[in-house]
Amino acid sequence: MTISKITTRKHFEPWRLAGNILLTGAFIAVSAPFLWVFLGSFKTGTQLNNPTLILFSPNLANWTRVLETGILQAAFRSVIVGLITVSIAIIVGSMGAYSISRYKTGGSTARFGILTAQVLPPAILVFPFLDLAYRIRVNGTLVSVVAAHISLVLPVVTWFLIGFFDAAPKEVEEQALVDGLDRFTAFRKVVLPQVAPGIGASAIFGFVISWNDLFYALILAPGNSATLPVRIAGFNTFRGVELGAMSAAILVSVIPVLIASFFIQRRLVQGISGGAVKF
Amino acid sequence: MRTMKARKSVMALIAVAGLVLISACSSSSPNASTAGNTKISADTAGTVRVLMEGVPDTDIVKGLLAKFNEKYPKIDVKIEPIAYDQIRDKIVASFQATDPTYDMAIIDNPWMGDFAKAGFLKPLDDLIAGTADYDYNDFSAPLRAIGEVDGKKYGVPFYNYGLGLIYRTDLLASAGITEPKTLDELAAAAKKLNTAARAGIAMQPQRGYKAFEEWGNYLFAAGGSIYGTDGLVKLNTPEAKKALNTYIAMYKSSAPKNSLNWAFDEALRSVSSDKSAMMVSYNWMLPTLNKKDGPAGALAGKFKLATMPGGKQVLGSWDWAIPANSKVSDAAWAFISWITSKEGEAARVSAGGAPARISVLTDPAVSNTGGGAEYYATVGKILGNAEPLCKGANCDEMINAVGTELNAAIAGLKSVDSALAAAEEQANKIQSK
Amino acid sequence: MSFRARMMTPLLVVFVAAIGYPLISSFVLSLTNYRITRRDETKFVAFAQYKDVLQDHAYWSALAVTGTFIVFAVALELSIGLMIALALQNQRRFRDFSRSFLLSPMFVTPIAVGLMFRFLLNQQLGAIPAILEKVGITYDFFGPGRAIYSMVIIDVWQWTPFMVLLLLAGLESLSKQPFEAAKVDGASPFYTFRRVTVPMLAPILTVAVLIRSLDASKVFEYVYAITRGGPGTETQTIQYFTYQTGIQFFRLGKASAMSYLLLIMVISLVILLFKRIEKARLAS
Repeated sequence: MTISKITTRKHFEPWRLAGNILLTGAFIAVSAPFLWVFLGSFKTGTQLNNPTLILFSPNLANWTRVLETGILQAAFRSVIVGLITVSIAIIVGSMGAYSISRYKTGGSTARFGILTAQVLPPAILVFPFLDLAYRIRVNGTLVSVVAAHISLVLPVVTWFLIGFFDAAPKEVEEQALVDGLDRFTAFRKVVLPQVAPGIGASAIFGFVISWNDLFYALILAPGNSATLPVRIAGFNTFRGVELGAMSAAILVSVIPVLIASFFIQRRLVQGISGGAVKF
Repeated sequence: MRTMKARKSVMALIAVAGLVLISACSSSSPNASTAGNTKISADTAGTVRVLMEGVPDTDIVKGLLAKFNEKYPKIDVKIEPIAYDQIRDKIVASFQATDPTYDMAIIDNPWMGDFAKAGFLKPLDDLIAGTADYDYNDFSAPLRAIGEVDGKKYGVPFYNYGLGLIYRTDLLASAGITEPKTLDELAAAAKKLNTAARAGIAMQPQRGYKAFEEWGNYLFAAGGSIYGTDGLVKLNTPEAKKALNTYIAMYKSSAPKNSLNWAFDEALRSVSSDKSAMMVSYNWMLPTLNKKDGPAGALAGKFKLATMPGGKQVLGSWDWAIPANSKVSDAAWAFISWITSKEGEAARVSAGGAPARISVLTDPAVSNTGGGAEYYATVGKILGNAEPLCKGANCDEMINAVGTELNAAIAGLKSVDSALAAAEEQANKIQSK
Repeated sequence: MSFRARMMTPLLVVFVAAIGYPLISSFVLSLTNYRITRRDETKFVAFAQYKDVLQDHAYWSALAVTGTFIVFAVALELSIGLMIALALQNQRRFRDFSRSFLLSPMFVTPIAVGLMFRFLLNQQLGAIPAILEKVGITYDFFGPGRAIYSMVIIDVWQWTPFMVLLLLAGLESLSKQPFEAAKVDGASPFYTFRRVTVPMLAPILTVAVLIRSLDASKVFEYVYAITRGGPGTETQTIQYFTYQTGIQFFRLGKASAMSYLLLIMVISLVILLFKRIEKARLAS
């Protein structure tokens, strides 16, 4: 055992080196624009026109201005909308996806039908949404934004999950049924943990879609309940782009998610290894 | 056969249902309010919600609300600032709603024809005529023309965004150049001012609105016009060809490198960071550039505004309007007539707003602030001899089509002749649809 | 009600409520000449809008632009994403940090990403051309023949993390035994990758490519923030074209027809793709 471990490690070493070089490259590619945004958020209007300026005395005007626009409240609303949207999509989507994957419910019609809404542009769907929101008296509230976001998120999440359920082995679940668990309990206790990484991935992606959406949030929610993207887009005005303030706003939108995904990532990994131990 | 028929009638039924749904949205009746010929009552009450762009002009209006409330204490004006394109999307949605989200609106000039013809806006003729001491004819004539559609007034000018030539006085002086008076002189000046460190002129050839907005000034400078005497778009003319050829030559020889996607923002940044000597831009950028501690930093005070060579330029404007489905049109008009009155205009322009009335330009209380008397005199010339890019229906679409052809020619994807021929043909087709 | 139906019902209900209504009513719109600014002239025109769109040269050109964009963007994202996912799986130190940091571009709203790159890639005002110039390179990022590939680069920056996320989740859910077996057999890492990893990952790869392609077909914000479709119409994507037609030019009926035609084309492509995959699966 020990001997084989040593040999494999030796064998994998150049690949690991290549991997580390790749990761370093990716790290630089991702961080360079963020570094520019970070520096920009502390620059004055004149300094912003000098892209290679790195050493300067930082200016907090952009940050105070951004905080005055209520960016934190907007970020909070975006988080709430994202969490509600994703929770509904994951609960409903995982059950449906399981049914479609295991029992071929709806055949290929269901598989493809789910995709239809994914292709249509928000520019087309937004007016019916607005009308519907008015009819059921939720116009101008975040409820209509959540409904619109579900239409964006649900198809993708369900699609993901179908793929993950397809890939998950059936044996464990069959064993659980033989052991006397009812089907729903087997689904909840045995099948779902198997696709935990998939659920995590889809939840993150679903959240990203909702978090980034500009178009629906813009038209369906009024000014005082604007979400984060609406606020950020507001820095692109007829009289030019307020780059400094926008940079600060971008950081406000990235940092909380970054911290959250750091912990989600850790829990995700724990969840997977926890699941593996049980088998 | 029978099933076909059945299917057809089902389809028709769905379609009819859809139409009912659509017309249900549009059936809101305009609020009939009769015009008085006396002063508006100071007791007029209501909450007026308005969507405005998040720009300095909006902040200035916000700053004047307290003054407005001294006169009309029972009117609550709620301003929602938002980005440019979002205004159209949201305001159109509100026009369609039975229960409008906004009771007052600001309208960009390309939208005016469409919105008025669609019945989205309330005609203001009676209100204007019935308001004492309003002096409507004091607004610059080209600005007034923008708010008038089919003989009715649907908007009153809020602020202008007419263009002009902005240049660096120090650079022109040291190069021994005087203010260009013809298009050729402009091209020569740009070429002479072009150095390794600094471009002669920052241009804005971005596809669509920007390319047309800038090139329109070149067209006027070459002696051309957008519309012929028959009211049709005429762009396949010797003047237009001269204007486009000059524009392209200047882009190649004197504009910043690789600036094909540049718009307003890039040009402003380039000029204010000493990387370009001139630009064609909005007249009210001058006070901003010359402001101490403004975007131009140490260059403040070195900029000057001139009319385009030949004296005529492209005009834009934002107009105040009242949506047909507004439920508080009296309160909305009380605000509009106050902010656009001579008194309101003077307060707004003194605070740095872009003017719309002629009398305000020579008001000493105004010209002693910010831009200075010489600047306001030039603004007066600009507002007196200017024309919008499009009149009538489908303006956004027409402007985009012309701006696409222009951008293709500037990029070298099309010849000048074929681009202008296509622009003219498409523009007329779009406006007749 | 059977178990499978009970599991399906909530999805069906939410789907119909949130998606069915807007879908149907925009289809109804596509059969009319509805224009936001000419509502009183609205009438049923059957498939006249569809005919109109099919004859519109600009529509086909926008489809071609979008197709080019999708092919280049998704191919790059898939290959880079797969490599990064494998590297991350084998990473020993700073795992949590690098995983969450490398995902971060996804969390920036696309309009902000567009505006960021509009300035980053600007010749006079941007950092990237300034750095390139120091090593003697000038490159016109938004010039003719190039602008669309600059859009691809921006998309790759923002969405490769999505591929990484999905593929990493896929890799970690794979059962360990085949890998142990390959190790015992002394298979080379490349052989293991080709014969074990890729086939086992195939369902996830398909989902990832499909979802990313569908999402890339919606590219709008970068175009809106940077080129507005230029030079000429070289970056006029189908979404930008539809947005302009439907919202900016008020022709909602025509724009709906454009979207439904796109929908039909995409669904047919997806069905064809899946038929082929099924066939290949049965054959092997």
